[in-house]
Amino acid sequence: MKNQLLATALLLTCCLAQADGYVVDKVYHPNVLPDEQRLEWRFMSRQNDDRNVLAQRIGYGHSLSEYVTLEAYIVGERDSDDNFGLQAYELESRWMLTDQGRYWADWGLVFELEKQHKQDAWEATSGLVMEKEFGRNSLTLNWFLVYEWGKALHDEFETEFRMQYRFRWKPQVQPSIEVFMGEDFVGIGPALMGVQRFDGQRQLKWELGFISEVSGIGKDHTLRFVLEYEF
Amino acid sequence: MAKGRLTIGMLLVLGLPCQAEVDEFELVLKEHLFYPARLEVPAGRKVKLVIHNQDDTPEEFDSFDLNREKVIFPKRKATVYIGPLKPGVYDFFGEFNPNTARGQVVAVKQEISDAN
Repeated sequence: MKNQLLATALLLTCCLAQADGYVVDKVYHPNVLPDEQRLEWRFMSRQNDDRNVLAQRIGYGHSLSEYVTLEAYIVGERDSDDNFGLQAYELESRWMLTDQGRYWADWGLVFELEKQHKQDAWEATSGLVMEKEFGRNSLTLNWFLVYEWGKALHDEFETEFRMQYRFRWKPQVQPSIEVFMGEDFVGIGPALMGVQRFDGQRQLKWELGFISEVSGIGKDHTLRFVLEYEF
Repeated sequence: MAKGRLTIGMLLVLGLPCQAEVDEFELVLKEHLFYPARLEVPAGRKVKLVIHNQDDTPEEFDSFDLNREKVIFPKRKATVYIGPLKPGVYDFFGEFNPNTARGQVVAVKQEISDAN
């Protein structure tokens, strides 16, 4: 019964995802740990018939409490002249709403505020994060409501949807299937994530995914990569 | 937008706590050792672990098998919900003292007593 309800919810939500821009990004998980700091590097390369878009971001995060963490990012992108430079700044906060395993699923929230460099262009994002365990498998769903405003762009609301179905095979190797949805974009592809623990709270996490756009006829592939060092 | 709100609301309702009675078990962390180091719990049921940290330093309960991470502050207790588990052995350890703070949760299939 629960599986049927979950499938219905998934179907309904997928049908409502509407956004533009770069939909392929990290799939967020709801859990937060206290007294944790992290350095993060995200890499994204999107190739379509016309051009290649390269985006990278570097961030630093710190847990504010047992349930809330705050991260700051600087975002770099390659422009149409093939120059790579500073593109935006971002603040991100993740909230763990429920203790892991306490309820039928784990829930969390994500809030982001991004400003484009040297432009009056802002983006505020609110996200709902859910994770459900099935034995050694985990299903993670992200729903985002995005509002963009400023003189440099057209004010609008957007929605995005991300999904990851992961098999927790071993800590270093956890294969998954990821789905990303936004306006005019439906992407799906394999991904791999893992974690290597060191002494104390230090650990290195990585994610690698290759997402192919499936709703259009042209070429549109995205390679995404994340390295995260927690200490 | 209205459809979006409806969907999020429905999902929240689906995820609301539908908790049945949860068995509670206790673990003690003392001098960077877990007591008991081997804890039997019923398989097929959600279980609540209450972990008491009697040390003067924090510890992080960590288990890839159980898919749980939880920091336990010094002289405090923390609650970790696990399961329902299949029968088997699930390793856990303290991330700050992984050489000493180690243990296992053993999920045991419950015998169904037949009153007839």
